[in-house]
Amino acid sequence: MRDILVALSGSPNVGKSTLFNRITGGDVHVANWPGVTLQRAEGRVQHHGITLRIVDLPGTYSLSAQDVGERIAREFIVRERPDVLVIVLDATSLEKSLYFALMALELHHKAVIALNMMDAAEKRGIHVDVDGLASKLGVPVVPVSALKGVGVGALLDRILDVAQGKIRTSPLRVDYDGLEPFIHRIQRLIESKGALSRYPSRWAAIRLLEGDEPLMEELMHQDPDLAREVKALRERAGLELGEDPERIAISSRYSLIDDIVRSTVIQVRLAAPSLAERLDEVMLHPVMGPLVSVLLILLTFFLIFAVNTGFPLNLIFANLGYDELARMIEEFSISGILGSLFDWLSSLITKWLISAGYSGWPVGLISDGIIGSLGTLASFVFLLLIAYVFLGAMQDSGLFPRAAVSLDNLFRKFGLSGRAFFPAVLGMGCSVAAVVSTRAMDDDRERMVAAMASPLIPCQARLLVLLALASAAFADPLKQSALTVSIYLLSFALYLLISKLLNWLVFKVEYAPDLVMELPPYHRPSLRVVWWYARSNTEHFMRKAGMLIFVVGVATWFLLNFGPSGYLTGSKISESYAALLGSLLTPVTSLIGLPDWRYALAFEVGFFAKEGFLITFSSIAGVADPVQAIRIVGITPLKAVSMALAMNYYVPCLATVAALFSELRIGKYVLLTIALEIVLALMLAGAVYWTGVLLLGLS
Amino acid sequence: MDGELLPLTALRPGRRGRIVTISVGRGKARRLMELGLLPGEIVQVTSNSAGPVVLRTKGMTLALGRNVASRIWVEVVQ
Ligand SMILES: Nc1nc2c(ncn2[C@@H]2O[C@H](COP(=O)(O)OP(=O)(O)OP(=O)(O)O)[C@@H](O)[C@H]2O)c(=O)[nH]1
Repeated sequence: MRDILVALSGSPNVGKSTLFNRITGGDVHVANWPGVTLQRAEGRVQHHGITLRIVDLPGTYSLSAQDVGERIAREFIVRERPDVLVIVLDATSLEKSLYFALMALELHHKAVIALNMMDAAEKRGIHVDVDGLASKLGVPVVPVSALKGVGVGALLDRILDVAQGKIRTSPLRVDYDGLEPFIHRIQRLIESKGALSRYPSRWAAIRLLEGDEPLMEELMHQDPDLAREVKALRERAGLELGEDPERIAISSRYSLIDDIVRSTVIQVRLAAPSLAERLDEVMLHPVMGPLVSVLLILLTFFLIFAVNTGFPLNLIFANLGYDELARMIEEFSISGILGSLFDWLSSLITKWLISAGYSGWPVGLISDGIIGSLGTLASFVFLLLIAYVFLGAMQDSGLFPRAAVSLDNLFRKFGLSGRAFFPAVLGMGCSVAAVVSTRAMDDDRERMVAAMASPLIPCQARLLVLLALASAAFADPLKQSALTVSIYLLSFALYLLISKLLNWLVFKVEYAPDLVMELPPYHRPSLRVVWWYARSNTEHFMRKAGMLIFVVGVATWFLLNFGPSGYLTGSKISESYAALLGSLLTPVTSLIGLPDWRYALAFEVGFFAKEGFLITFSSIAGVADPVQAIRIVGITPLKAVSMALAMNYYVPCLATVAALFSELRIGKYVLLTIALEIVLALMLAGAVYWTGVLLLGLS
Repeated sequence: MDGELLPLTALRPGRRGRIVTISVGRGKARRLMELGLLPGEIVQVTSNSAGPVVLRTKGMTLALGRNVASRIWVEVVQ
């Protein structure tokens, strides 16, 4: 593969030279730019076996070719057309460095933004919405600290992605207000005459309107008539708009910059040093620290689960005898509200379709298959969003990083460091997020072990299945709680034990990696930062799993409603393709006391998304309420426990498997994770079931 | 006592030291330097008990596992 040409650009003092040295690691060739005494540094670096040729452009505030530096930078971009233009921004003063970025992106959009000085920004409580900035600018944004060498690997990854077309970037469009009609006219003129063809035509039109001298000269050379026509248009624009076009252009750019900065940057007030000290005394205390940390996590998830599912408030009130209140809490939880909303929607659409003269499978496909899958997706989105709002607040306040430090001692006993705290906590929201979060760990072995073990932690989808199983099988809320809580405790124990096992058997090391971690300053969580965090985590999940969940939902509907004999009406689900598929797996589920194709099918569908268990039972039973559906399918307390254990561990869902592949990049380890989970699920569920049957006489 | 040479793990909370040597592997040494821990740098320990040593330097707070911390030797300063 040929070398990739990368140009490094930015305003003066944004840390361009520091970044250049950091990337090239000293393999640098220094000369002068032709004809001037300005230094030109060029270096090479290998990344994933590909050679990047990196040219450091002069630092300039703009690209209007007014001074030597600007002329050189612009000429280089236009003539050499670098595969990727890296634009370095200073995160501590985005306003200042964005002007250059706008100019550069209008000229060349195969670009990556290096958001530099992130260390300094963090210290001062400045937060930048990285995803938001990327979507406003139309190119990837990578937070880096050139001084500390943080994020350079990720920057090189994105550079390759853009160079190889894996990430599509789009040209930045500034709204030039009153100038727009003139821009269009000039653009059409130069396009039709084929003038200034080495520049993007919109960019050239704007620059000509702004009175760019070198560009005008170039046009004069190519087509003097056209140049005069453009000059006349420029004067007309000035007269008609009553203002110098250049002024309008510049203020249009600044109003876009204002808009970008307002929506993506926030500076929070840091906690007073005395308060920070007192907090640290508790959070980092050898006994209080771990205790408070565990309490904080419990509290956080108490809030998340209560809002999302009603658990544990529903069970607490049910235990106290307030059944009515418990039911209300469940109904008004997010999953309760969304559940009834989509049931209502589905019956509404069914009625409407039937009254419009439709019948048979199209009605079922739309009202059950499609609306049902959208309902599943919508509930995932809300559950995750809310979980990440709470988790983001804990992270942003600086409390969670301290919790990781104070739990370091516990994790060390299992060959992990305090950093393993983050995947465990995020895993209670969603395993995909947990796996992705391991990226931040700097010890390779710890990163892999934590990624492989984190799917053991029950995610929210599994919590919903667990709650439904517990309520269907046990009338006594105390027993329902006992089952749910013990699964969580068991899962944390397994997270640690399996990590130890992997360290020992696969990686053959016993010592724990040393914790080296920067602790961000304490401050009151900022709503906007928390929202950015929640939105970006949810978006990552949607991108990985959104389409998958929808497609699999619809496919499951087909499998359940069609069989070798065609569309099935009535309750002939036992003749469906789904039943055939389910019966293939029945020999395995028999091992754990579930010798029924309906359970087997639930396990198959659950691989695609763990909520698939509930969807399967609802479809089989023909009722929306999953608890009732499970009761109709039939379950005993012992079978519920066996199923709860197996459901939790039998295999990470498909989206998590995909995340594991992209994080571990070693197929062998992904397969090992899956195999380990299958064995674990069969062993645990089998042990419980057969102990119950043989020793306790249960069924 | 001023000038006394100690590993970071022996520096009590509230006390300050100037880093004299860092004896860890090359990779780890680079990581520490990236975080601003260089010989000559003055650090103040804010927490040092059973878990990681927490210290402040250049306005930021760092947590270091006890193993690395014990390999960073400092000269006690007032
Ligand atoms: N805190 C912090 N400082 C940085 C970072 N990157 C660069 N600096 C500092 O910012 C200052 C300017 O860095 P340079 O690399 O010289 O900036 P430049 O953009 O090349 O400037 P010109 O040479 O004028 O174009 C130096 O004091 C660097 O140490 C960073 O990531 N974090």
